[in-house]
Amino acid sequence: MANYLSISDILVSNEKVTCKFLHDLPKMGYLDPSCPEEDLKEGTTTDIPLWLAESLSSRRPPLVSVDLPKIFKETYREIFNADACTVDLHKLNQHFYELGCYVAKYDIKGEVAKTLINTFRQRFRMILSASVSTDSMTALQPLSASERDRTATAMNTEKALSGWLKRGDCPLTTANMVANHRKRKRAEMEML
Amino acid sequence: MFGEKVIELLKESERSRETMDQYSDDKVRQIIDEMHVLYKLNMNDANATTENKSLWTTVQVRHSALERNKRCLLAYLYNRMNKIKTLRWEFGAILPPDIRELLSDSEYEWFSKYSTNLASYMRSLGQDLGYSGIDLTENLRPPKSLFIEVLCVTDYGKLELEDGDVVMLKKNSRHFLPTSECQTLIRQVE
Repeated sequence: MANYLSISDILVSNEKVTCKFLHDLPKMGYLDPSCPEEDLKEGTTTDIPLWLAESLSSRRPPLVSVDLPKIFKETYREIFNADACTVDLHKLNQHFYELGCYVAKYDIKGEVAKTLINTFRQRFRMILSASVSTDSMTALQPLSASERDRTATAMNTEKALSGWLKRGDCPLTTANMVANHRKRKRAEMEML
Repeated sequence: MFGEKVIELLKESERSRETMDQYSDDKVRQIIDEMHVLYKLNMNDANATTENKSLWTTVQVRHSALERNKRCLLAYLYNRMNKIKTLRWEFGAILPPDIRELLSDSEYEWFSKYSTNLASYMRSLGQDLGYSGIDLTENLRPPKSLFIEVLCVTDYGKLELEDGDVVMLKKNSRHFLPTSECQTLIRQVE
């Protein structure tokens, strides 16, 4: 699933997850800020980035056992299943779906995977209404990063379609990067 | 904690997704230094595992960190490379000096080579039909008409058309010009 060169995937795998170490780790005391000693003892529980947890738990024998993050535990799952649209995913976790895809395999019962699908199904209406809304700021606010991307794409398509239906011609415009570069330059000039 | 510098680097480049930003030579060097340190520590501990078996776990943690740093650096360079490609199509073969400054030396070298490759490809197009190539960057969208009405936004000066006519482009003047002549001017806002 993961794209090796994708920046957003790298940012997702930087999220912290709680892990229990199954072996002693000499000289690795700094992984746990509350550990005063130089060595990390077997059985310590601490938060480490997802990328480290992923690679250590896939070793043979596994070095850590990964705990589900708080937002995918029973309590939060109940909230999502009751009404996912009331949750502000931007505040809760920007990479909700992507993180969910990673940790779903640590949940043996498969509840997390079901919750993810269910959440997206309920929230799809929000994405749709945000993409045609004129008051985009309030509509975009509770959406997670990937939902915002979807919305932006939908908005562009919508605009392109209505432009084409209305006039049928497309005026020539400045190239995207050129325009952005000029905008930035102007902002810098104004600051001086 | 290892692997944090590189995230700063990627966050910066993620923030300016639509524009080119400065190549952070300094950060990249720091990350490579970090990798050298990790590698040396790992080398020592890996040699010591014969006496102290419990060290293998530590070696594995550091090895994961090394792989992570490598992945992040590659992703950083790859995403910049894609942006540089876009630069060629949108700014043309000659970059404005302020954009040129944002690239590292090897990136600029890559840009020149890409530019040359693209140019020689475009020149080769249609040769079997007797044409001498086609400029692919000219019509990125299907052209609708041969002539268009344009409004000048800056004092550009004289523009010589292909048929030899010279048009004076002054600010706020309107002209009726061949599309192919002013396409690039519009896209690159000269």
